[in-house]
Amino acid sequence: MTRQELASYIVEKYGDLMKPLESGKYDPLFVVEVDKLVDIAQKLKDDENLKFDYFCNLCGVDTNENFEAVYNVASITKNLRLDFKVILPYDKAEVESLQSVWPAIGWYEREMWELYGINVKNHGNLTRFLLPDDWDQGFPMRKNWDAPDFKRMPEK
Amino acid sequence: MGLIKKVPVYTEKIPGGAFVLTSLETVLNQGRAKSLWYLLFGTACCAIELMCTGASRYDFDRLGMIFRATPRQSDLILVAGTITKKMAPRLRRLYDQMSEPRYVIAMGGCTINGGPFYYDSYAVEKGIDHIIPVDIYIPGCPPRPESLMEGCIHLQEKIKKQKLLDWQEK
Amino acid sequence: MADLRTEEFVVNMGPQHPSTHGVCRLVLTMDGEKVVKIEPVIGYLHRAIEKVCENRTYMQCIPILDRFEYVTSMSCNYVFSLATERIAEMEVPERAEYLRVIMLELNRIASHLLFYGVTAMDIGALTPFLYGLRERELIIDLFEMTCGQRLTYNYIRIGGVSRDIPKEFEPKCREAIKIISEKMADYEGLLNENPIWLKRTKGVAVLPKELAIAYGVSGPVLRASGVQYDLRKNDPYCIYDRFDFDIPVGQNGDCFDRYMLRLNEIRESIKIITQALDGLPEGDIKNKKSRMTYKAPAGETYTRIENSRGEMGIYLISDGGKKPLRVKAKGASFNHIQVLPHFGTNMFIADLVANFATLDVIMPEVDR
Ligand code: SF4
Repeated sequence: MTRQELASYIVEKYGDLMKPLESGKYDPLFVVEVDKLVDIAQKLKDDENLKFDYFCNLCGVDTNENFEAVYNVASITKNLRLDFKVILPYDKAEVESLQSVWPAIGWYEREMWELYGINVKNHGNLTRFLLPDDWDQGFPMRKNWDAPDFKRMPEK
Repeated sequence: MGLIKKVPVYTEKIPGGAFVLTSLETVLNQGRAKSLWYLLFGTACCAIELMCTGASRYDFDRLGMIFRATPRQSDLILVAGTITKKMAPRLRRLYDQMSEPRYVIAMGGCTINGGPFYYDSYAVEKGIDHIIPVDIYIPGCPPRPESLMEGCIHLQEKIKKQKLLDWQEK
Repeated sequence: MADLRTEEFVVNMGPQHPSTHGVCRLVLTMDGEKVVKIEPVIGYLHRAIEKVCENRTYMQCIPILDRFEYVTSMSCNYVFSLATERIAEMEVPERAEYLRVIMLELNRIASHLLFYGVTAMDIGALTPFLYGLRERELIIDLFEMTCGQRLTYNYIRIGGVSRDIPKEFEPKCREAIKIISEKMADYEGLLNENPIWLKRTKGVAVLPKELAIAYGVSGPVLRASGVQYDLRKNDPYCIYDRFDFDIPVGQNGDCFDRYMLRLNEIRESIKIITQALDGLPEGDIKNKKSRMTYKAPAGETYTRIENSRGEMGIYLISDGGKKPLRVKAKGASFNHIQVLPHFGTNMFIADLVANFATLDVIMPEVDR
C-alpha cells in the first residue's frame, strides 16, 4: 500500500472515527476522539490489511491553545506508517493508556505525564523518572513554564 | 622525566650511588604527579573523547594515567560530560569518597558553565564548581585529546609546585 | 542442599558504573548470583534537549541535536534536516545526497567499531578496545578533514551539507575503508573462536522475536532476533534505494548474534560507501534556500531513519515561525532499556553486563 492508498483506505473504513488532517506532511495524519482512542488503536492493530503492530513514538505537544498527544505507529508485516493524534483541552488533559495494545508505550506515557502533566488513566506506573527526585517546578515542557534561570530567545 | 634525569648528577657525587638526598616534598610530589589514576566519570559526549584519548592513537597511559572504576583508588576525578541536577549529588558523593590528596579536572564546556545548555535548559547544572572544587578547566565541546592531555600536564605541573603544608591544611 | 534457604537482596548498579555506558542505574534484586528483577532508573543525563530546541531557530537546532546521540551525530543532523525538508518539500542537490550517504555510513562504521571495542572491554577483553578504536580514528580523521570536528559534526544542514569535501578526501576514504575491510578478519579472529567469549555470549540473554516487536525494539537488536526490518530498505529515505547491499539477519537473538550482526553491517556499509564514492556526481552541495535564518512552513511530520542503534526519529511541528513548535527526539535505546527487565532476568549478573553491552545502549538517547 502506498501512502495515498493507506490514507484513503482509512478514510473509507474508519472515516467516522478518524478525520484526516492537512497539516500532516509525508505520512498520513489523522485526528481521533479521546474516548474512542483505545478502541481505534485496537482496531488498527487487528485489521487484516493494516496490522499496526509496532509502536514508534508518542509525543506530547503544547500548541499554545491546547495539548495534543501524537501517536506514531508502524506495521512491520505490511510495511506501513501512520500518525494519529488526540486533541486535549488544557482543563481536561487526560488520555487512556494504550499499554494493552502496544506495551512499548509505557515509558512514553510516563514521560508525557512527567513533562506535560497530561494524565494517563490506567497506566499503573506513573512515577517520576527523568526529572530529579526533588523536582518542584511544575511541568517544564509546557509553553508557559518559566524559571529564573531560563532565558527565552527573543522573537525578533 | 625530570627526576630521572637529575638522579645521575646526585649519584655521581655519592660513592656507590645508593643514596639520594632530596626533600620529602619532591619525592611525594613527583610520585603523585607521575601516577595520576583517574576515576572514570564519563557522563556524556566528552566521555567518548576521553575513551579515544585512552585508546591506541593518543595513549593516555604514557602520562601515567590509568583509569579506575572506583573512587577509593583514584587521585583524580576527570569529569567528562554534562552534569545534570539529578547527577550533581552523586558527583559530590563520589568526590567525598576519594582519599586526599585529590584533584579535579573539568573537561568540556558543560562542566565549566553548562556549555550549550547554559541559557535554556532546566535540567543542567551550570558548572561543576558549584559542587566540587576544580583544579583545571579544559574548554571545548568536546575538547580534543591533545587539549585533554595538555590539561593533564598542567595539572602535573601544579602538583609538582605544591608545598607539603598546602595539602595538609586543605 | 535441596532445602537450603536463600534470601533476596538488592544491588545498586550505577549511575556511575563503567559498564553501563554512561549514567544508567539498574536496581537489581538478586538471589545469590542470579538476577531476579531489574528496575532501570534513568534521567541522570536528562539535558532537556527538546526544550532547548523549541527555543532555537531551525539551524541552531542542528548543533544541539548533535548532542542527542553523539556517537552517530551525523544521523542526528540528518534526521532533523530530513524532517524539515519533508515539511518544506525542499529539493536537495544530487551531490549533497551522495555526500550524506557517505557520511552516514562512515559514521555507522565508526559507531560499530566503538561498540566492538567497548563490548569486549565490558566482557573482559582489553585488546579489541585498542583495535577497534585504532581504526575508528581513521574515520574520525575523514570527518575532521571535512568539517573540522571529531565528534559533534554539525555537517548535514537543512537542504544540503555545510561544505564540500576536500580533494584528499576521496583517496583517503578509499584507503580507510580498505584498511578496515582487511582488519575485519583480525576483529573476528580475536573473538569468534575464543572459548571464553563464546561461553559468555552464545545463548546468553535471548530476546524473543515477539517480545522485541511488542516493545518497539529496533535496529541490530531486532534483526538479531530474526526480524528483517531495516528502514534503509523498508522505508527508504535519502538515496539508499540506488545502492546494492544486504541486510544481515540473525537467528537466535542472543548476545553473540547481536555482536556478529554489527560486524556484518560494517561490511555492508563498506559496500555502500564504495558505490557512493564511485557514483559521486559534481554539482551544488546546498539548496539555494538553505540559509542560517531558514524558516519552515507550517506542518508536522514524524521522520525516522536507521542509525547504528536502530530507529531514530524526530517528530517536528512547525507553525511557520522562526522556531519549531515542537521537536520530539526518539532514540532506539529508550525502547532497549525499557525491554531489559522483561528478558534480562534469571541470569547471572555477569551475563547481565554482556547483555547490556550488546544492546549497545547509549544514555543521551534515553534521557535526552
Ligand atoms: S561540553 Fe559539549 S561535547 Fe562535552 S559533554 Fe558538554 S555538550 Fe557534550
